[in-house]
Amino acid sequence: MREQTFAPGRMLIYLVVTLVAAAWLAPLVVVALNSLRTNQEIAQTSMIGWPDQWAWRNYLDAWSGFCVAETCAGIRPYMLNSALVTIPATILSTLLGAVAGYAVSLWRFPGDRWIYGIVTLGIFLPQQMRLLPWTIVLRDIGLINTLTGLVMIHTIQGLSFTTLFCRNYYIAIPPELIRAARIDGAGFYRIFWRIVLPLSPPILIVTVIWQFTHIWNEFLYGVTFTTGQQQPVTAALIALATAVADIPQQGVQSAAVIIAALPTLLVYLLGGRYFVRGLTAGAVK
Amino acid sequence: MTDAVAAAARPGRPATSGVIRRLPEYLIIWVPLLLSAGHLVSFALWTIWISFTPSTLVPVSGWVGLRNYTAVMATRNWKIAFDNLLLFGSAFVLLSLLTGLALAILIDQRIRGENVLRSIFLYPLAVSFVVTGTVWSWLLNPGIGIQKLVNDLGWTSFRFDWLVNGDMAIWTIVIAAVWQSSGFAMALFLAGLRSVDADLVKAAQIDGAGPIRMYRRVILPTLWPITVTVVVIQLQFAISTFDLVRALTNGGPGIATQLPALVVYDLMFQRGVLGRGAAAAVMMLLILLAVLLPYAAWRYLQRRRATHA
Amino acid sequence: MNKISRRTMLAGTAGLFVAPRLSRAQAVKPRLTVISQWSAGSDGAAITALGKKFEEKGGIWQHSPVPGFTTEMMNKLRAQIIAGDPPACSQLKGPEIAAWSKIAPTVNLDDLVAAAGYEKVVAPDLAKLHKPGGKWISLPLQIYATNMLFLSKRAMDKAKADKLPVTWADFNALAEKMKAGGVTYPIANGGTRPDDGQKFEASFAGMSPTAYRAGIMNLDETALKGPEIKAAFEQTRKLANWMDPNTGAQPYATHLKSFVDGDMGMLIMGGWAQGVLLNAGFKLDDFIITPGPSDNSKPVFLLNADAFIFWQRSEPDLQAGQKLMAQLVMDPAIQTMYSQITGSIPVRTDVDLSGAGWSDGQRTTAAALKNAVGNNQAVLSLAHNMAHENGLTAAMIDVITDYVKNKTVTPDQAITRLAEAVEGAR
Repeated sequence: MREQTFAPGRMLIYLVVTLVAAAWLAPLVVVALNSLRTNQEIAQTSMIGWPDQWAWRNYLDAWSGFCVAETCAGIRPYMLNSALVTIPATILSTLLGAVAGYAVSLWRFPGDRWIYGIVTLGIFLPQQMRLLPWTIVLRDIGLINTLTGLVMIHTIQGLSFTTLFCRNYYIAIPPELIRAARIDGAGFYRIFWRIVLPLSPPILIVTVIWQFTHIWNEFLYGVTFTTGQQQPVTAALIALATAVADIPQQGVQSAAVIIAALPTLLVYLLGGRYFVRGLTAGAVK
Repeated sequence: MTDAVAAAARPGRPATSGVIRRLPEYLIIWVPLLLSAGHLVSFALWTIWISFTPSTLVPVSGWVGLRNYTAVMATRNWKIAFDNLLLFGSAFVLLSLLTGLALAILIDQRIRGENVLRSIFLYPLAVSFVVTGTVWSWLLNPGIGIQKLVNDLGWTSFRFDWLVNGDMAIWTIVIAAVWQSSGFAMALFLAGLRSVDADLVKAAQIDGAGPIRMYRRVILPTLWPITVTVVVIQLQFAISTFDLVRALTNGGPGIATQLPALVVYDLMFQRGVLGRGAAAAVMMLLILLAVLLPYAAWRYLQRRRATHA
Repeated sequence: MNKISRRTMLAGTAGLFVAPRLSRAQAVKPRLTVISQWSAGSDGAAITALGKKFEEKGGIWQHSPVPGFTTEMMNKLRAQIIAGDPPACSQLKGPEIAAWSKIAPTVNLDDLVAAAGYEKVVAPDLAKLHKPGGKWISLPLQIYATNMLFLSKRAMDKAKADKLPVTWADFNALAEKMKAGGVTYPIANGGTRPDDGQKFEASFAGMSPTAYRAGIMNLDETALKGPEIKAAFEQTRKLANWMDPNTGAQPYATHLKSFVDGDMGMLIMGGWAQGVLLNAGFKLDDFIITPGPSDNSKPVFLLNADAFIFWQRSEPDLQAGQKLMAQLVMDPAIQTMYSQITGSIPVRTDVDLSGAGWSDGQRTTAAALKNAVGNNQAVLSLAHNMAHENGLTAAMIDVITDYVKNKTVTPDQAITRLAEAVEGAR
């Protein structure tokens, strides 16, 4: 397909792409603009609009000022909690998923297809069906209201996705490679370490992005299984949102939303190209 | 290393020491997989058990037969939710598939600024569903959002009030959901487009195929397995989507956009009737199975055909 | 109590949860673990102030607000109860108190209530809700009427109205006048479920508190099919037609500016709206507060009351904390402080509201309550989960919110569906 930069066909493509990109950006722009309008202004005019005066203060308030009941420390402490849960859970579920994916696709063992099937069917189990059972499990092992408990939940649940992604990626690795190494006497770990892992970065990045985003944005477990100062940032955002029933605080709320979304936005911004690359290399089956 | 291999290869070696040597390997394979599979199976079974009990605020034992199921199915809420799921599910999966494919094809045209564009279409995945639902509830609101904007620009008879219209409100959820997750479909399709066999493309070009025939004969068939993956993941999203709907319409206007995931949460946690909520959840799973089983069967047949070929 | 609960309690207590250790030597410092949904706004401020008072009396205040709405709070409470670690005190209200008291043991407050003479100063209907099984286990904290009428001064000017509406006929006439005078939407309304529910219950109870009590509160079949409920649905339809159709699922607070500016005329809302209006920057003389319309010209009061329930704990410091909290909640000075922050009225009927911290709206509300109790016209709000448990309430509100939003549903259809909902939720 020859490249003709200014042919009418290409102009059309550029036009369509620009329109669609604008539609895609609209929500972000609205929230960003709102984050720079004062609460009063939004309450007195409308939810969508250009700032009258630039309320940079909203960001300061959102970060360290606004109050959730007694504590007026903004969302900073909650961001820390989210990080304390999301980072370990992401790393653990990714690593364990990689090992599991490798075991199921390359190493093979009796019953591997069955257990892989069950594990990946798990992505379909709705969260409502898990809330109460997790309560009972956490109670029985004594981890209720701890961040460790949350990490455990997210790790075990994350295995469904991470195993799915990794297994579909590793399938593309020629099994002869593994067989040859086994004949040479390499064991499970050595093969993983020497052969599989070096080939993995693309899919590991995909998995990390996926898990990070899902765990960071998760609300239900975060609120139910933590208490007070341990709550993740999604809880703090909801606290701001429900204040709508009282004084409208959409300016500070929008700023808080932007701050809370920064980690995941950055992850997608920086990892975006690897996202596609990781999926290309495996040609997801 | 060679000792181990030689040792393992020696005939008549007792199996146990081999097992012990390989214990750490077994542990790291089996423990996470068993934890994952174990919790899934036990949670599903637990919910099924609860659906047959008279549980209300907390789980209790007892047996009420199918009463929870018939009670849920008799409510208008569930009937509307079920119909909505069929409509929303098919519309969403189809539209996000087409949008993702279209976006991928657009980006694949070797235009400038691909990195920026890719980020623009991917970023919605980074945003939490609650935020997506809330922002779209503003944008789609006729009084403050798109309709107002267009009216203010001069086109005063423009109407875009789906959000408050009982018959059309479900489509607003489709719009927000497509916005959120088409990027994922796009990424997968882009990966697929990039992995099309260059030789096939060259052969088709030599045969004189134009761009459209190229797509039809060479590219789209290569994308078929990816399409299936996208459909499966989008389906999961469609059935379990809950936060997004709650933030966007909360099941409204009235109860026009009720969906099974909402009904389950509502019954279990808001209305304090766990037994009924569990019954609704089991029915939700059955709906899922109704779609997944044919797919699994088809895959199984495919594999058998491949091995028998 | 059923087997699972007992087993749960035993398992939980025997579990790994470490209770704080107190050295025998020191006197027990009262401590209180509290769960509520009041994490923000004036509710958050009020409970924070209460906490400060608790600490002033030497206690340790450990409040865990759960962000979100009541469902999230109940999830957390349920999780804690299942874990065998209920908070010493939690927010709960209405018939849910009776329902939850069956799943975990509660504290018998009879002695404390008798010592404070609280029962004498609480409306009997209200007291009943907080002593399921005959013993006090929870204490009401503040009262709202859900059917207060807020009138926009500017809208009244546009309508050239000088009288405050008393009956529904007056109300309808005023709405028509407002419309004629240029008020785009005579009624400012949010699109949330409780909002829709409030319109209906204000109509029904305002037309016939007796029929409301029989039909909605006692689920009497005749009352649920009678002429009064049909008239109530017809009135609700009138109200729906006077509201902004573009509201969607937004809360009423989005319309405050229009309301104050006179583009929307009237707000049928609980007394809390006063606090919201003031916090949004509007002034007390932008609006007038009067009791909701009542066809027999005597005020009808749709009760909504928040309360705290006390869960049994074995730790002496928590028990001391519960005692202190109960005393504080029943204290007229504390109730005054609390209500002044949130805009509610105190539960105690013997609190004097003539002081400076009270608004006219609150005085009107308190007078209406007294009057209504005297005439047996104080009824329990359906929309705010006071008349029934959440399951039944939600089923009935499903019908009502659908009726309000979907203009093609007729009153007869609504009546049938309401009856079905009641049947189905039993």
